[in-house]
Amino acid sequence: MVNLAASFAPTTLRVERHTDRYWNELNGLRIEARLVRMKDAQRVEIDERLAELDREWDIERALGANAGTIALASAALGYAVDRRFLLLTTLVFAFLANHALYGWCPPVPVMRRLGVRTMREIERERYALKALRGDFSAVPPAGWAAGHDRVRAVLAAVDA
Amino acid sequence: MQDYIAVAAQRQRDAVRHHTDPAVARLLEDRLRARLEQYEAVDPRTVQDRLDALEREWDTDRTLELDAAAWGIVGVALGALHRRGWLILPMFAAAAMLAHALTGRHPVMPVLRRLGVRTSREIARERYALKALRGDFTRLDAPAVDRAAKAREVPW
Repeated sequence: MVNLAASFAPTTLRVERHTDRYWNELNGLRIEARLVRMKDAQRVEIDERLAELDREWDIERALGANAGTIALASAALGYAVDRRFLLLTTLVFAFLANHALYGWCPPVPVMRRLGVRTMREIERERYALKALRGDFSAVPPAGWAAGHDRVRAVLAAVDA
Repeated sequence: MQDYIAVAAQRQRDAVRHHTDPAVARLLEDRLRARLEQYEAVDPRTVQDRLDALEREWDTDRTLELDAAAWGIVGVALGALHRRGWLILPMFAAAAMLAHALTGRHPVMPVLRRLGVRTSREIARERYALKALRGDFTRLDAPAVDRAAKAREVPW
């Protein structure tokens, strides 16, 4: 089962692979611009930005809310008003399956243009900011400490 | 230990992780530690293979999307062809999806978590921990000017 799942597009890359390069690059450039701005920033500013990232809705969450709303409404209408509304329900679920497997469904291009990011993009900004803040400076280089001590230091840095 | 996991989940605002049974969260954390210790001193290429595998790993969102779609399509088909009452199934799947997006709670999630399905944030956490162990961040302890330049170079 695991191998079957792995034969589809990589989880973290599948949405970016179905986005026009322009929008992917724009998101990358925005992160870089922010890092350059933050390079002399006070610690508090980095902390605030990290808290913002925690609250940011990634594209999977936005899609879940979107698909859930439309499917619920159309199924209710199909039950109570006219069976033909069920075509919309079917379509939403079919696109949701396609999105899970391949990374594309109709709202994806729209959301990408609106600047909704993938978790991969958000996490990249988060860990770059954490590196800039110096979270990783306490991690001993390989061979300088016992393995479990390095792992503990790394997890402390990652969760800081 | 338990407190540490709960605090980390809350601080990261990972709602799914926050709502996970503490025993399961602890199991996942122990497995992560064991894996990191195993990869702590191996050659960079083996670490890279692991990083690539983590990119392929199915996270909770992706698994739930496929799960909801399956229940939804089966339910609509039964509702259209057999009895209208079956439509409760797609309605429930859709409502659960919506609740998951808004609150991070989903009726199927406890099962998925017990099966070891992780959130995208947990997977990213393991990726960046591995990268730190490999030494990707060690050259960053330079004057502030090129720290920004170096941070930008952090490989994806």
